[in-house]
Amino acid sequence: MRRSFLIENPSVMWFLAGLGLFTVVVTLMSEVTGVGLISTSFVKTLGKTLCLCLIAIAMDVVWGYCGILSLGHFAFFGIGGYAIGMWLMYARTEIVVLESLSGQAIPPTSQEISDAIGNQIFGVVGSSEFPLIWAFADSLFLQLVMVILIPGLLALVFGWLAFRSRVTGVYLSILTQAMTLALSLYLFQNDSGLRGNNGLSGLQNIPGYEGVSQATISIIFFIASAIALGAGYVFFAWVVSGKMGSVIKGIRDNEARVRFLGYHVESYKLFIFTITAVVSGIAGALYYPQAGIINPGEIAPIASIYLAVWVAIGGRGRLYGAVIGAAFVSLVSSWFTGGGAPNVDLGFYTIQWTDWWLIVLGLSFVAVTLFFPKGIGGLFDYLVRKPS
Amino acid sequence: MSMLLEVSGVSVTFDGFRAINNLSINFAEAELRAIIGPNGAGKTTFMDIVTGKTKPDEGTVIWGERNISLLGMSESKIATEGIGRKFQKPTVFEAQTVRQNLAMALKNPRSPFDVLMHKKTKHNAERIEAIADNIGLLDNLTRVAGELSHGQKQWLEIGMLLAQEPRLLLVDEPAAGMTVEEREKTTDILKEAAKTRAVVVVEHDMEFVRRLDCKVTVLHEGSVLAEGSLDHVTSNQTVIDVYLGRGHA
Repeated sequence: MRRSFLIENPSVMWFLAGLGLFTVVVTLMSEVTGVGLISTSFVKTLGKTLCLCLIAIAMDVVWGYCGILSLGHFAFFGIGGYAIGMWLMYARTEIVVLESLSGQAIPPTSQEISDAIGNQIFGVVGSSEFPLIWAFADSLFLQLVMVILIPGLLALVFGWLAFRSRVTGVYLSILTQAMTLALSLYLFQNDSGLRGNNGLSGLQNIPGYEGVSQATISIIFFIASAIALGAGYVFFAWVVSGKMGSVIKGIRDNEARVRFLGYHVESYKLFIFTITAVVSGIAGALYYPQAGIINPGEIAPIASIYLAVWVAIGGRGRLYGAVIGAAFVSLVSSWFTGGGAPNVDLGFYTIQWTDWWLIVLGLSFVAVTLFFPKGIGGLFDYLVRKPS
Repeated sequence: MSMLLEVSGVSVTFDGFRAINNLSINFAEAELRAIIGPNGAGKTTFMDIVTGKTKPDEGTVIWGERNISLLGMSESKIATEGIGRKFQKPTVFEAQTVRQNLAMALKNPRSPFDVLMHKKTKHNAERIEAIADNIGLLDNLTRVAGELSHGQKQWLEIGMLLAQEPRLLLVDEPAAGMTVEEREKTTDILKEAAKTRAVVVVEHDMEFVRRLDCKVTVLHEGSVLAEGSLDHVTSNQTVIDVYLGRGHA
């Protein structure tokens, strides 16, 4: 069954081959495992980009295939990041605290250790108590479970309430924006238990691997991100290829008709919304150790809107389109905003790309929507003739 | 005689307008019935009530030999109970192939998990081909539904209804926009389907209704005005006054 699935979907094989090749090339050109043509920071950028590609295919499934324009999927991405960040921060602070206390004549009690860790982590927000949500922070396994569980549960509850009331279209989009905004505002508070606007930092230091250089860690996370993207791609391609794909595309095109065929549309939407939220959480959990820091600004409403723009520019309703869109737009974006693009001196005015990039992005979004509704991915239709 | 569907004393009001007024109508198993009536007679609202889209203010809708009430059931639940509906405008999934359209409609478990784990079987393929043959689209299975002609889309939608294996088929203006030959074929498909299930056709076109050659119910202002053979109802003076007179004046 698995083999026939891959044969029926040659684009999946092509994608995996391309991703594999890309991973090998980057690995061979990195500093530790290769010739050193690619800097460690750029390996991190590429690894983060792969995570963005992963959330983009999740967005494509929920929007491009199922027709739910969620503008809140970055909330799930952020939650995944926070969940893994809590363990990273706790475990690393614990190591530091144990080191500094080890010189004392009387061994510290577990209460003293806990207080010292709490002081280190929550000192910035004027607290030293561990909030309840940090109860599992000492266990990597449990926090990994949280990476999946919390986004999944939030999506399940939110989706159940929204879909059950038959909220659709732009109203649903607004609700999802409100969800991510509310979460972001909540996390900005110092007493939210997640260090307010400071967020969680130092996430690039992996506890237990203090002796390992960032160059090595970066390539490990890069490869892990590539594997996650590959696995996510195959999973979603499988979901949308068969009858499930038929039904969710039917929901996108004519919800009422699907209902009268006897399908419980709300359950399908909830299923798609939830699995894409879980994958977004996983993508976030891989992204933030590479970024090093997560703060509530990351899940501001604009982030989820960018996600929709990537998918629209890349091409909705085809998974590789979402990958192309996310990779292309986010890399070009960081080139422009990172000062990579030279300013253009027009004599009377100098175009500074850090300011003007958003205008360019907005215009290209409008242009793609008007003139190339299939996005960049649509170009493949000219190259590949569909088998009849 | 035991009835398949019993609608009794149903009323529904939209913003003060009484779309359905104390309507009572019954359908037997394996029956072909035409419902006619002027615009605003409540034909489409009647279908909305039976399929769960609209909740009536009062009255009962009783289904099947177990006499269960359809009121309060979701659209999808009613559909799986065995009531299929064809809309006025042909609504097929235009981005998907004829085969995919039929496969989606085919009577099979409908839960997300069942659908996710669904595997193509020879049995299902044969069922799809048999239906496609019935509606004259056997050679078009791999075509995208959006490319089909208007008449072919109508048939595909009827085929999707048949694939659901409903016990009651509600068909809203199947002949609209069809050529004469297409109408004849549509009549044949509906008559054939009515041998094994109840088929209710809402239609404006009297010529088409005559060709169906079945019992006719005339609706007017949300209730039944007359019932019987086409000749019987068309000779009814009230029917002539409120409906035929207007249409043919």
